[in-house]
Amino acid sequence: MIRSTYLVTRRDYLGYVSAWGFWLGLLFTPVILGVFILAPTFAQNAQPTRYFTVLEQGSAFSEALRAEIIESDSVMARAALDPMATIEGRDSEAITKFDEAIESGASISEAFEIAGGSPSVLPRQDYVEVDPPVSTSDALAPFLAGEDMISTPDGPQPLFAAFVVNDGSGEIEYWSENLQARSLMGAARRAESDLQLDRALAEVNVNRDLLTRARAARRDVTQQRLRTGADADVGTEVTQADQAPFVVSIMMAFSLWFLIFSVVNYLLMGTIEERSNKIFDSLLTSVKLPHLLAGKLLAVLLLSFTLVGFWSTGSGLITWFARDSIPADIADFLGAVGTAAGDPALFIPAIISFILGYLMYGSLFLALGSLCDTIQEAQTLMTPLIVTLMAPLAMLVFAIQDAESALIQIMAWVPVFTPFLLILRMPTEPPLWEVFAQLGLMAVTTFAILYMATRVYRAGAVHGAGVNDVMSFFGKFIPGKKSAS
Amino acid sequence: MGEEMPLKMTGVSKWFGGFQAVRALDFEVPKGSIVGFLGPNGAGKSTSLRMALGVLSPDRGDVRLFDIPPNLDSLKRVGFLPEERGLYKKMSARQIITYFARLKGMSNSDAKARADELLDRMGLGDFARSRVTKLSKGMAQKVQILSALAHRPEFLILDEPFSGLDPVNQQALEDLIIEEHKRGATIIFSTHVMEHAERLCEKIVMMARGRKVFEGNLNDAYSALGRAVHIGAAEGFDLAAAMAPVGFEAEPEGDHWRVALAPNQTSQDALRAAIELGAPITSFTPQEARLRDVFVSLVSDAEAQDLTDTLAADAAAQAKDAA
Repeated sequence: MIRSTYLVTRRDYLGYVSAWGFWLGLLFTPVILGVFILAPTFAQNAQPTRYFTVLEQGSAFSEALRAEIIESDSVMARAALDPMATIEGRDSEAITKFDEAIESGASISEAFEIAGGSPSVLPRQDYVEVDPPVSTSDALAPFLAGEDMISTPDGPQPLFAAFVVNDGSGEIEYWSENLQARSLMGAARRAESDLQLDRALAEVNVNRDLLTRARAARRDVTQQRLRTGADADVGTEVTQADQAPFVVSIMMAFSLWFLIFSVVNYLLMGTIEERSNKIFDSLLTSVKLPHLLAGKLLAVLLLSFTLVGFWSTGSGLITWFARDSIPADIADFLGAVGTAAGDPALFIPAIISFILGYLMYGSLFLALGSLCDTIQEAQTLMTPLIVTLMAPLAMLVFAIQDAESALIQIMAWVPVFTPFLLILRMPTEPPLWEVFAQLGLMAVTTFAILYMATRVYRAGAVHGAGVNDVMSFFGKFIPGKKSAS
Repeated sequence: MGEEMPLKMTGVSKWFGGFQAVRALDFEVPKGSIVGFLGPNGAGKSTSLRMALGVLSPDRGDVRLFDIPPNLDSLKRVGFLPEERGLYKKMSARQIITYFARLKGMSNSDAKARADELLDRMGLGDFARSRVTKLSKGMAQKVQILSALAHRPEFLILDEPFSGLDPVNQQALEDLIIEEHKRGATIIFSTHVMEHAERLCEKIVMMARGRKVFEGNLNDAYSALGRAVHIGAAEGFDLAAAMAPVGFEAEPEGDHWRVALAPNQTSQDALRAAIELGAPITSFTPQEARLRDVFVSLVSDAEAQDLTDTLAADAAAQAKDAA
């Protein structure tokens, strides 16, 4: 068994890694993932500054809007100054310096430099106010239509939007030919709220500074947790080390999902190739069917280890060479993540889940491939599997918000989801019996699926069963529908 | 204890749903023989061979490969060329032959050396490292045949080995089969082309409609059809009436007479009798028995029998319904 399985594994593995498509996936997947992750930032930076104007008798609304936009730009500048502090919602030294500079009347770019930020990483301003080129709303039409340009510090530019504050009713109109980008309108609404709040406070002789002082005086709410035994020395405040397992579990669950989703296609395509090339009879007179399937599953499992090994080594090397340029708090967080990833309580269930999950889905895709002569045929049968595989991805969203949510706890008992959801639950330290029960249920289901998949594979490989036979089989369960023969 | 039998099938039947593909098949392939497995399309030849290899399980009956049920141990002694040809398209000819030889138990170095030897012998040495996609159909078929015999099997099972080959390659394959036989291999091959069977086989098994309709050597097969001579006589001469008293049956057939030969009669006997009887002979043609004629005759009989059986079964069913 070992020899024939080894030979099948070796042939399939070498066949996969010698294909240029494998190397394209290996090299470009991290690039594509990186592009997806960084796409919002790229899009933000690529967005040119937009110019708007305000037509108003007086300046109350435009001043409120200006203040709102400065606040909005400040938020972006703070995030660029210290991303980790921004994510964790705390003030750092750089952010405090930035706020003090703004408080003392510095512009955002000046405050950013005072706080030690490099001007090259300061996000571009989304919106800049310019003086109205005309005095009536009707006269704005050619500017809004792009027929006339307005003068700006950056030279003549199109007018993106205009606010017209009606003298009589006080109604604020927002004019723009771009109907989708509404962030400026949102800023205007917030500015108007602040303006009306100021007016209401003024009516009761309360200074706005009172609110600012009250906000500044607010006490921080620190997150605490119970610790016992040796951990008690650490204190009760929640640290990065406490948060890291949750981050790691989400990363592991996503990686597991991504890996399974990536490699099962190799099984499908390989089996379709063997069926369409009519190799089964030659193979089955040389190797037993279970050994053949074991060899195929092992080959793709090795392939997935190759992918993980390559990506892990690559990211490890990049991190190592870039270690001096990584900010200290990010380095600390990465260290905490690394420590959490090495925790046996997390990685052992992760490895078991990966192997069982891979066998479960891999054998299904193998069986599917044995029934199909072409990828088009396979697509008709793949939809239920793809939907099943997509469901855990949706649940990652719930896990990010609350890994102990009832939905995750319940769905983790469904064996086809357990490989992904059990990992998400591990940082919450579920009862040990639940972990073993879910692993056991998953193992039993995996072996049942393997058994069924072997039978289906035999039907496809030996008896030439195909998509029509599957349709015919399920047709029997539809009342009033005659099965195709 | 008798000599080991490479293949013995006893009372083997196989159904696919309601269709019976093989009906109570009995035959054996003696060690050292070349057996032709003949039959029209759908006769059940491939199904029988797949059962012989254990790829399919019989629903009834017993299959013995080297005196034991087919398993990986007995299959290691077998080389198989399936009817449906297929190779891994991204592998080279040498890799494929080596892979299948290793699956059959050869060591890596032996398998590679054997692949090189076979490829050279079949004139494919220059294509050893070419991917299958770069090979012509005939070349790819040769590679598959070489994959079947790379591990020097004791028993070769070839399902339609000549189909798809041009005459030159058919001859090359015939030579290869003879060579393997000389090496000591037992061989069974299925074919539609009777000439291959006539040239190569010591034994013939014919199937039609899932049934075995003949098993024996070539002479037995020729006898099954009955021999005759064609004699032309001047118009007006009744050769049938003249020859009947001396024990020959003649009947008009076109512009000549067909004279049937009993097993103890030769064509020379018929000619001598006609001359002695004073027949004005215009032509004389011994009718040579051809396996093709035997095949057509036996298959037609089987099909007629099958039709009769079907009608009888239908009639019985109708009678049962009526009752």
